Amino acid sequence: MKVKDSEYLKRVRPLLGRLLEELTDRFPYASILAQDGTERSYSVSRRLRSINGGGRFSDRGFVVKVFNEGRWSEHSFNELTEEDLPRVVEAVVRGAAVRGPEGTGYREYEIPEAEPLKFKASTDFEIDPAELGDESILARLQAIRDRGFKAAEGLIDCRVNATWNRTSKLFLAPGRELEQNVMWMTGSVMAAAPRGQEIMASFVSYSNLGGAEVLGGMDGDVERVAKVALELTASEPLTPGEYECVCTPDVTGMIVHEAFGHGVEMDMFVKNRALAQKYVGEYVASPLVTMHDGAAKVPETGSYFFDDEGTLAHDTVIIEKGVLKRGISDYQSAKSLGTEPTGNGRRESFRRKAYTRMTNTWFEAGTDTLEDMIASVKDGLLLEEPSSGMEDPKNWGIQCMVNYAREIKDGKFTGRIFSPVVLTGYVPDLLKSITMMSDSAMLHGSGMCGKGYKEWVKVSDGGPYIKARIRLG
Amino acid sequence: MIERLKAALAAENIDIYSISETDKESREAFFVKKELDLARSTSLRDYTVTVYRETQTEAGRRLGSSTLPVYESMTEEELREALRAGAFAASLAGNQYYELAAGRREEFKPAQYRPGEGGLEGDLDAMVKALFAPDRGGEAFVNSAEFFVTLSHRRVVNSRGVDVSWEVYDISGEYVIQCLEPRDVETHHTFSYSRPDTKALIEDVEESLRVTRDRAQAQRAPKAGKYTLILSGPQVRELLSFYLGRSGAAMVYQGFSDFAPGDDIQGGDVSGERLTLELAATEPYDGEGIPLRDRTLIEDGVLKTLHGGARFSYYMGVEPTGSYKCLRVPAGRKSLEEMKSAPHLHVVAFSDFQMDTFSGHFGGEIRLGYLFDGERTVPVTGGSVNGSILEAQKGMEFSKELYRSAEYEGPLAVSLPDVAVAGE
Repeated sequence: MKVKDSEYLKRVRPLLGRLLEELTDRFPYASILAQDGTERSYSVSRRLRSINGGGRFSDRGFVVKVFNEGRWSEHSFNELTEEDLPRVVEAVVRGAAVRGPEGTGYREYEIPEAEPLKFKASTDFEIDPAELGDESILARLQAIRDRGFKAAEGLIDCRVNATWNRTSKLFLAPGRELEQNVMWMTGSVMAAAPRGQEIMASFVSYSNLGGAEVLGGMDGDVERVAKVALELTASEPLTPGEYECVCTPDVTGMIVHEAFGHGVEMDMFVKNRALAQKYVGEYVASPLVTMHDGAAKVPETGSYFFDDEGTLAHDTVIIEKGVLKRGISDYQSAKSLGTEPTGNGRRESFRRKAYTRMTNTWFEAGTDTLEDMIASVKDGLLLEEPSSGMEDPKNWGIQCMVNYAREIKDGKFTGRIFSPVVLTGYVPDLLKSITMMSDSAMLHGSGMCGKGYKEWVKVSDGGPYIKARIRLG
Repeated sequence: MIERLKAALAAENIDIYSISETDKESREAFFVKKELDLARSTSLRDYTVTVYRETQTEAGRRLGSSTLPVYESMTEEELREALRAGAFAASLAGNQYYELAAGRREEFKPAQYRPGEGGLEGDLDAMVKALFAPDRGGEAFVNSAEFFVTLSHRRVVNSRGVDVSWEVYDISGEYVIQCLEPRDVETHHTFSYSRPDTKALIEDVEESLRVTRDRAQAQRAPKAGKYTLILSGPQVRELLSFYLGRSGAAMVYQGFSDFAPGDDIQGGDVSGERLTLELAATEPYDGEGIPLRDRTLIEDGVLKTLHGGARFSYYMGVEPTGSYKCLRVPAGRKSLEEMKSAPHLHVVAFSDFQMDTFSGHFGGEIRLGYLFDGERTVPVTGGSVNGSILEAQKGMEFSKELYRSAEYEGPLAVSLPDVAVAGE
């Protein structure tokens, strides 16, 4: 089934048309992005349960972008009636006149050109979470929680969450009218156990570009997660050093996204903030590695049909067989650099500026089996459960944390478990050390991505199991 | 809109509710070096409604809630349908019973600072000038900067008589300093003030330029091992967030913390300094409309109160304090120079320093540190800190020098003994 149109955007469409006319009468170019989203989140834990509407990615409003005398300016607002139109136009005109204080200049751009285009597209789903209803969804989550508590005695908590989001967008510019309706759903299971004053937690997440069918996949892991939480109470600190590591697909995803992906966001190239721009055409990874980013190719939470600047979604090959080929970019950065935008101009919402942002980012699968990979490790670790990461585009330093590592000796798990584990070192050293990749790739889209400490957008990342040498702390 | 909402709530027989209104104007500027790349403005009005349903079950009296955004652009039918769906969700999500914050209509409280004749644009321009003023064309310079100046009018109304309104002014942003020689490096910085404090911003940028020049000189990571670690600036606030988190009524109720008023939270045998920590009120009310005032959270290592909103405070049988963002800590015993007289690793910049309130672990990748071996100090970069506050808290010492940000007022630096560092 296809995700339906927004009734609100249909209703407000004639007014937006009039606003665009008024703006294009005054400026050489103007565009409008209209957004209408609905989100619903569910959570059950030992003592609490909740169902809430709204959320970070659910919003209703508009952003106007105009081009005036070589400069760009924007105005965001969330009320638009017949009476509001003059006030909105006045705010846009005032913003377009901003020059910056004495001692500063401005960046000058060419007048934008875009091919005329009109289309409407919607993503697919099997089960509409709105139709399935709050009661059924909550009951499913409660049943999973109960199984978690049953599987492992001594848990402080077992928390099960789910969120669905349906967002419609309309992009209007001279000759361009694009509409899209996108729905995704995510879920997670977290179990926590005490170790003195420490709380040791294990978690697993789920995501799709679709609907409540994601709940079907959430039944299988809760017992394992509950047992890992208990196992972690016996974990040891890891001796810092360089280790032979196998990474699970979600840890691979964190490395792909944090360690390398942020470094090829080309708004960083514009500011001379990314080391990657000096390495285009060179080996930055093992020849086994081919890396993609794109909203167009895989169905995950970072997917869409056009970005927040009206550029169609792409599938960009960033690294091909170890060689850095190109970065990803928003419209304004591409125009600064003399390149083509890649459909990666994304806003947290209509309230915020568009930056170059990742969408779905992944390594292609290799040819090895996981069994062969584990068997090949003489003295090393299996890294599991990514917890956080931070980019360093300028110097390609790695800061990623995983929840735990399992010891492998002579190709077998010893039963020892270490937690927490900090990945550190230099990105190309890690990527060039990859010697094995498993034969299937998985993407995870339950998290979100910030630019520095703000500007959150929904993304997915992943890849196959990889084997590499990694410096751990 | 609030009257329209009240009428719709009454029509749906929803007699327990809370409504939040935020009216916000902002001006924003995005610079690449000293060139304006994009000017932005926003004009936004947002409404959030929380609807509650009381139920009686075998487990006793229950109260469920559901929060939802509502829009002025909703038709009457859409608004009623959204509230009805919220009330149904609230009836499913019954939790232990509690009572909303009670209150009355209070006078509007304006922000302590309001923009003058130049408006938000004038304030933005003043801060832009201040940020670029220390950039005099040396080897270290401002690579890029973002500025956000916001004036928000907030109102909270609930079914137990709360009707409070206040104003919040905020001028914040971030900037990146780059130094090309001898090694091309950068450092990332944020700022946030409740008035356009150009003097503080200039000082902040001057220090950031110095730190970035030093980072360009740093060649190597420290050797792996255990160090007396000194943290300074925003990392001190992040480290102390452990105590804010663990003393939250919500954390205690859910079993993630065993903190209780009267506890010696540093665990006795303290060889360093005993912690005193205040919750500092930077706004007149929190998001539930609970009046905020300065409160002592921890005194000489002893927890004085749990903190939190109406719900979890009710569950824990304590007075609701409301939610606070700002921590205040008194000056420590030693000067920073005294602290630095013994061998130590002083990390001044991380890629991202994090405290995990669950586990008590803190750490991050080192962007710039100063390593003193007892004889000489060398800048270091790379490697990472991986410590536990549960182990380090007995030896914590604070500096006499103070530091202030939107979320912290207190010692500039803290020293922690025997912290593990991964390095060469």
